[in-house]
Formats: sequence, C-alpha cells, structure tokens
Amino acid sequence: MTTSSGVAPAVHVAGLRKTFEVPVRDAGLRAAAKSVVRRETREVAAVDGVSFDVPAGEVVGFLGPNGAGKTTTLKMLSGLLYPTSGEALVLGHVPSKRESAFLRRITMVMGNRNQLQWDLPALDSYELIRAIYRLPRDEFRRTRDELIELLDLGPLVTKPVRQLSLGERMKAETCGALLHRPAVLFLDEPTIGLDVTAQKRIRSFVAEYNARTGATVLLTSHYMADVQALCKRVIVIHHGRILYDGALAALGERFAATKTIEVTLGDGQAGGGRPDLSGYGEVIGYDPDEGRTRLRVPRADAPRVTTRLLQDLPIADLTIEDPPIEDVIEQVFTSEAPSDPSSEEPADARSRAPAG
Amino acid sequence: MRAISLFLTFLRVGALNELQYRANLAIQLLESGISVFTGLVVLALVFSQVPALNGWSQPELLAVLGVYTLVGGVIGMLIQPNMERLITDVRQGTLDYILTKPDDSQVLVSVREIRIWRVVDVILGFVIIGVALVQLQGTLGPLDAVAFVVALLLGSAMVYCFWLLLTTAAFWIVRMDEIVELFMGLYASGRWPVTIYPDWLRFGLTFLVPVAFAVTIPAEALTGRLTPELLAGAAAFALALLLVTRWFWRVGLRRYAGASA
Repeated sequence: MTTSSGVAPAVHVAGLRKTFEVPVRDAGLRAAAKSVVRRETREVAAVDGVSFDVPAGEVVGFLGPNGAGKTTTLKMLSGLLYPTSGEALVLGHVPSKRESAFLRRITMVMGNRNQLQWDLPALDSYELIRAIYRLPRDEFRRTRDELIELLDLGPLVTKPVRQLSLGERMKAETCGALLHRPAVLFLDEPTIGLDVTAQKRIRSFVAEYNARTGATVLLTSHYMADVQALCKRVIVIHHGRILYDGALAALGERFAATKTIEVTLGDGQAGGGRPDLSGYGEVIGYDPDEGRTRLRVPRADAPRVTTRLLQDLPIADLTIEDPPIEDVIEQVFTSEAPSDPSSEEPADARSRAPAG
Repeated sequence: MRAISLFLTFLRVGALNELQYRANLAIQLLESGISVFTGLVVLALVFSQVPALNGWSQPELLAVLGVYTLVGGVIGMLIQPNMERLITDVRQGTLDYILTKPDDSQVLVSVREIRIWRVVDVILGFVIIGVALVQLQGTLGPLDAVAFVVALLLGSAMVYCFWLLLTTAAFWIVRMDEIVELFMGLYASGRWPVTIYPDWLRFGLTFLVPVAFAVTIPAEALTGRLTPELLAGAAAFALALLLVTRWFWRVGLRRYAGASA
C-alpha cells in the first residue's frame, strides 16, 4: 500500500489524542511538602485531536513552538507512545503494536540524541545495526557505501564518534538511521544546533534521499529554512491542535495580517534625504544606497495604499510581498494566545516526555 | 539463540575496540591486584586468630574469595555496564532508539556493552579457585565440577535479573544512579559465605539480593557442601526470577509508552 500508486496514504491519522498526567502544586515549601503526601495531578493534552493523511513519497513539515505537540505526534506515529485515543496507521500498521514488520520500515532521527556508540567508530555501530535488522551483508554494504558517499562522510566513519564535530556526528547518525532503507522517516529537529553549512548538507541529503527512494518524510524543525527547502506541505500545530495544513506557499496568504510594500522613488524626488512615507504605512526599513523604503500595511489596505503611492509619488520601483514566513509563523503563534495554559508542555517532563 | 548471536556480535565489536586501549588493561590489572591482595590479607588476619570460621577452613574461604572475584568480574564485564547504560538511556531519552528497533528490547539493552578488561578478574578468580582446590587436596569430583559451573551460571542469571529489576524502576524513578553503589555494596558481603551471617541477613542476601546464589552456592559446590536439592532450588528460583523480570520489563515499557510525564 506504500507504492507510488498513492491510493492508500503512508500515514493516516484521525482524531489522535495524547494526554499526560502532570503533578500540580503551588510554589513554595509548604506546597512542596504537601505534594509529597498527596499528589494532585491534572490531565494535559499534548496532542488534542489531530487528523491528517500523508501520501507515500511526500515530505511534510511540522511547525510549532516548543510544547506544541510535534514530537508527541511523531512519537505516537513511531510506536513510542500509546495514543490516549484516536487512530494512527503508518504503512498500514498500528504503530503502538510495534510489530517487527512495521519497525523495519520506519526510522526515527532525533537531532539532539545519539544512537551511535560514543566510543566506537561509526562503521562499527553500523555493523551492530546490521545485526539488529538482520540485513543481508551485500545489501547492507551497498546501502552503507551509497549513504556514506551521499553524505560525504568518507574517512569520518572510521573515527570514534566522540571525536566528530556535531555536524559530522549528525551526518553519521543520519547514515545509521537509514541503513535498513526505511520507507517512512520521522525526523525530529534533525538540524538542531548545526551550523548553516551542515544544516544545508543534511537538508539536501534528505531531499536527495526522498527523490531517490520515494520515502515518506515527516519532519519537525525550528528552522524555517529546513521546511522551506524540503516541504511543499506544512502542518502547523499549536497547543496540540492543527492550525493549518496545506501548501507552504499559501501559509502567508492565510495568516499574514500585513503585507510589505517596498518603494523606490524616482531620481530627484528623494532629494538626497530620506522621504517621509509614514503617512502611507508603518515604515519598517530604509536603504539609503538604493533609496528604498519598506512599508508595512494591513493586508486589506495594500491595494489602496499602492494606488495612492503610485498617484502621489514618482515611483521608480514598487513591490508587494508577503512578510517572511518566519514572521508569519511567529504572528500565528503569538496571536493565538493560549486559551488554556495547561496545554503547555508539562513543567517537569522528563527528557523523554513530549518535547515538541 | 537470537540473543546469543546478537550478544556475540556486540561482544566482537566491543572487544575489538577496547583492545586498542591498553592503558585500561594496566589500570584494571592494578585494581584487580589490589582487590585480591586485600582479600588475601584479611583472610590471613582472620585465620591467624581462629582455626575455622563457622565451619569453613582457610582453603575453603579462599575458594569463596575466588568465586567472589570471578563473579564480580562477570558482573563488571557484562551486567553492570549494560545496566548503567540503560539508566542513562532512560534519562536522556535515547532508549527511544532501542524501542524503534525490530528486535526484543530486553535482549538489546542487555547485550550492548562490554568491559572486556574485567576479564582480568575472571581469570584471577579461576587462579584463586585453582590454588584453593590444590590446598583442599583434590576433593572435587567431576560431578561437583559440573554442579559448580551450573551454580555459577544460575547465580549470574539471578544477579542479572535482580539488577534489571532494579534498573527497570528507572521508568518510574528518574534518579537511579545510586543503584550501582547499592548493589556493589551489598555484593561486597559475598566475600564471606552467607552462612556466617545472622539469619535475617542471610535471608536477605539469598532472596532479596541473590549474593548467596551468586557466590556462596557455587563455592559450596567446590567444597562438597552443595546438595542436589539446593541446586534444584536454585534453578527453580532462577527461572522464577527470569519470568518476573520479563514481566516487570514489559510493565516498565508500557509505563514508558503511556508515560504520564
């Protein structure tokens, strides 16, 4: 059902919910002492009824602030957490059953956590992974060498992992996670903490891997660049609910409350000084070299302001843009004031508890 | 079978790597040497005061020291490193990687780590046992030897179970680092046959912390004290403990997956 026919989705999620019980207590010593005797707990929904389908071969980005429910969703899809309610199917399997046939076809990469043995060269860890997945030796070698080449790992795989830089380690981790040629990839912040070059490398690798193998990729990231480079489709999660599911390009149209108008005045008009355009909108930038002013105007006003600008001033150049996607996302999250503070991430969550 | 083949793979890779670090061998030799030397000095001190300790003669207690060193080596080489790693993995969330592998998670967490140089203790243990047997002047029959090996395997299995039971508690209690100290402290009481301890302590060291099964019973096999009934009892207890451990591991995993923060 995972072939390119696209009939059945690789991932099917309906009404998925995950609640955690977290202890509640007031600040202070007395409250702390009281909670030792009688622990009061409260239910917190980390994921609160999400539904979506992902066709095989698609790369989908999950966006949301910390504690939005991204990682919890991925963990339910990879069989690490039992859903409280709702339905999840990955490649036709119920993840929480953790069937071997299912686990063989998925992989999980967590940007901030290692699976490779710290003191061993990656090559040895790969050998252990081969043993665990019982991969035929020939096939394993072929995949391994292909991945090493694609990731430009070269001689790094013979050095103990602890001697690698963060970026090198992440590449080695990625290679290890894909040796069994999984059909579905869960990438949880795969580029976190990496420098720009290393981020780009991982990004282009994921794109290449997706193109070559047709694997389905579900990705969470804090870096918009990751999502922009890899995902045509994004799912925006906030407080455990889906705010938006659709094309990345349309996200701005849907959520941006403003537009940015860039105006360059014709020669002579600027008069060497900075033109005052504050009557048209909020001035958010001025480039004296180019004589260009950036204005932020309410979305609905954009056509009217543009017409006025063109009528009033000798315009040499004028462009209207959606604000950068980061700004849009930020706007979405800040404007959606938390209706229920309980949907924040549990304060004393262990590292394994929902972190996204 | 699957567990053994996985174990051998991890053993090979782990051992090959640690073989590069010869300094670790030197440190281990020193550590084991000091430990055995102290053991011998204490034995000599005791027997300069009394001719026998609760029915155990000096060469017999030397055999106990030998088994203690041997089993300590097995624990340090195979059991302790895996359990320490498991605690770290639970705390750091890296256990997730084990749980997304298409293999038995209990097997995987039990065979991953090996500290090969602790083999020094295993060898030293055998040497001490050999010396003790010579001093005992050949009372060890072939049946006793088989009983000894069986008792040793059962004892190690019980120590593994006991330790995994404790470690599985890490799914509920995050700070489990002290467990290692606790266990090694209790294990130190195995330097002496548990029969010399008062009843309540002997009970605890038999059924709560299986030091008696790990050290005293194999030593009893060496010194002709072990009855077939006791060995059968040990086998039954080991089996029960394995089953309980398996069950508790599953409960722990369910807890992990259903996690309430």
